[in-house]
Amino acid sequence: MNFDWSVVGAHRDALAAATGTTVLLTVATMAIAVPCGIVVASLRLYAWAPLRAIATAYVELFRNLPLILLVYWAFYVLPIATDLGLPPFATGLAALALNVTAYNAETFRAGIGSIRRGQLEAAMALGMSRAQAVRRIVLPQAVRRILPVLASTWVSLFKDTSLVSVIAVTELAYVAMQIRAQTFRVLEMLTAMAAIYWLLGYPQAKLVDWIQRRYAVTE
Amino acid sequence: MSRRAKESGATIIRYRGVVKRYGAFEALSGIDLDVHAGEVVCLIGPSGSGKSTLLRCTNALETIDGGAIEFEGARLPRDERALREVRRRMGMVFQSFELFPHLTALHNVAEGPRTVLRARRAEAEDRARAMLAKVGLSDKATNYPAALSGGQQQRVAIARALAMEPDVMLFDEPTSALDPETIGEVLSVMKALADEGMTMVVVTHEMTFARRVGDWVAVFDAGRIVEQGPPRQIFDAPTTERTRDFLSHLGWQGETL
Amino acid sequence: MNFDLSVITDHWRFLAYGIGVTIALAAASGAASLALGFVVALARLFGPRWAKPAVVLYIDSMRAVPVLVVLVWTFFALPILTGLTMLPFVAALIGLTAHLAAYAAEIYRAGVESVRPGQTRASLALGMSRTQILRRIVMPQALVRMLPAFGSLLSVTIKDTAIASVIAVPEIMRQSETLAGQSFQPIEVYSFAMLVYFLILFPVTRGVDRIYRRVAHLGRS
Repeated sequence: MNFDWSVVGAHRDALAAATGTTVLLTVATMAIAVPCGIVVASLRLYAWAPLRAIATAYVELFRNLPLILLVYWAFYVLPIATDLGLPPFATGLAALALNVTAYNAETFRAGIGSIRRGQLEAAMALGMSRAQAVRRIVLPQAVRRILPVLASTWVSLFKDTSLVSVIAVTELAYVAMQIRAQTFRVLEMLTAMAAIYWLLGYPQAKLVDWIQRRYAVTE
Repeated sequence: MSRRAKESGATIIRYRGVVKRYGAFEALSGIDLDVHAGEVVCLIGPSGSGKSTLLRCTNALETIDGGAIEFEGARLPRDERALREVRRRMGMVFQSFELFPHLTALHNVAEGPRTVLRARRAEAEDRARAMLAKVGLSDKATNYPAALSGGQQQRVAIARALAMEPDVMLFDEPTSALDPETIGEVLSVMKALADEGMTMVVVTHEMTFARRVGDWVAVFDAGRIVEQGPPRQIFDAPTTERTRDFLSHLGWQGETL
Repeated sequence: MNFDLSVITDHWRFLAYGIGVTIALAAASGAASLALGFVVALARLFGPRWAKPAVVLYIDSMRAVPVLVVLVWTFFALPILTGLTMLPFVAALIGLTAHLAAYAAEIYRAGVESVRPGQTRASLALGMSRTQILRRIVMPQALVRMLPAFGSLLSVTIKDTAIASVIAVPEIMRQSETLAGQSFQPIEVYSFAMLVYFLILFPVTRGVDRIYRRVAHLGRS
């Protein structure tokens, strides 16, 4: 049993680039999933019945499916549905975005819905318009409740990017496992992969804790 | 009944120079007070003046930093097991009722006898039924706390404390969290208890109750007792400025009978 | 686009086997993580002084590292270290349990801490001992309060079994991959897989919701 850890150093450029792809995927997904989540949440809260039903169905569907299955399904269905040949990165991004949008929609809906109706009524009783009341009174309170959950979703998303490795997107998991296959240094590469994720994920998890403490809501 | 008449009874609780600190803040700065058998002692005063703190120190939910508390002639022990023995002889009723939500009213009242006194289930439930009848809630025995009104929950809480057959009952603002309509039903139960001769220490804002049912009233302010005496003195002829201020703040116009 | 369902009906036994493996893996790792998580939570609350930072490190590490990485490492790297060969199912079971137990431990802790301190005070006032209070008053309420979080964890457990396909565990996902590759009908096969997962997961989340709503008042003090 001999270990050659130098293989990690030898491939540090590739691993660094792959890490960058992972980060890019996370940022890009959130950039799509936050505004889309707001839209879907608004549909569920304020739109007329058929649209509400569609939005609810969307959320329920994508919260009850494994992401890895979504990735495969997107890989095979999207080219046919959109008639484009999408690169794996875009396919992976699409699957991630569909998934996270659903979770965000639920987060936004629950966050806004948790603000007592009396708050809105009190604001309007002061003479504010509904829009003013929502903007100045309801949303700031909702943001306090939403932010910690959003932070938690971000960390989950960061980890979930590893799943698009199955369709050969060159993020960290895929590249690390490729190097393993090429060099046969299984333990070293897999441990390095775990270590890199740990180094990136641990501070993020701690940050989420801090955010949750700071924005803790006491009734 | 005057204090003279009741003083022939034993001293159940004796507070001597009791001090309690939370960090740098002194919540109690030397409390001297006696509670005699059969007496109803009411602790009144502004919020934060230390009344509830003293009550929680009495059954050692909080530990004191100076002075002494004697219960039935002996200082409160330090040992946890011995303290549990002492707590069994005191009953406490909380402002937030603190009924156990996963148990029915009957089982809430029977919980003490079953778990602490190790009574058999049938025996404990019989006693519980008797106590629920005493507070007028026999028909609610199988209800969960969530299905009871505030006043009903508090009465169950009183029954739960009584089921332990305590020597003294401690009430920590028992009606402060209740709707005005339900305050009356709880105060009636407390008055009935007092009439039966139960020794009671009551932290309350219900001045009418203190005036009518209390045998001795202690006025708290900033961790000290500024005045204590029979209700007639405190409410009709207070001897200190602080007491007068406090009563006037409450809008106490005196009670016209 | 023609949808030819015969690929599903012709190979239903193959797919049904996958469903069985999914359920078995989910049930086994779910139960194991509940048990391990309980032990970990106890160690954190009542264990020796070194236990608390060790537990926190373990929990935070599992929050930082993806399930895929844990499973792959357990299946490929651990045998190299220990010299034992491992069946894919066993590796998946170990990896999933280790990952989920961290979350379970957090749920236990949060549940116990969420019970009002007034409940403990009221129990002390009756003269109960600390163990009696934990056993008879705090835990029953805490368990009710943990129910939604555990329901959510069960849902995650079932979804995470799909990741075990990466280490060749023959659960639904893997069986679907194989069938899709052989039949060249990925759309039908993967759509069917989606339907199956949805039919398993949707009742689970709804069911937990329903149960919680009926017992929620038992945990609310």
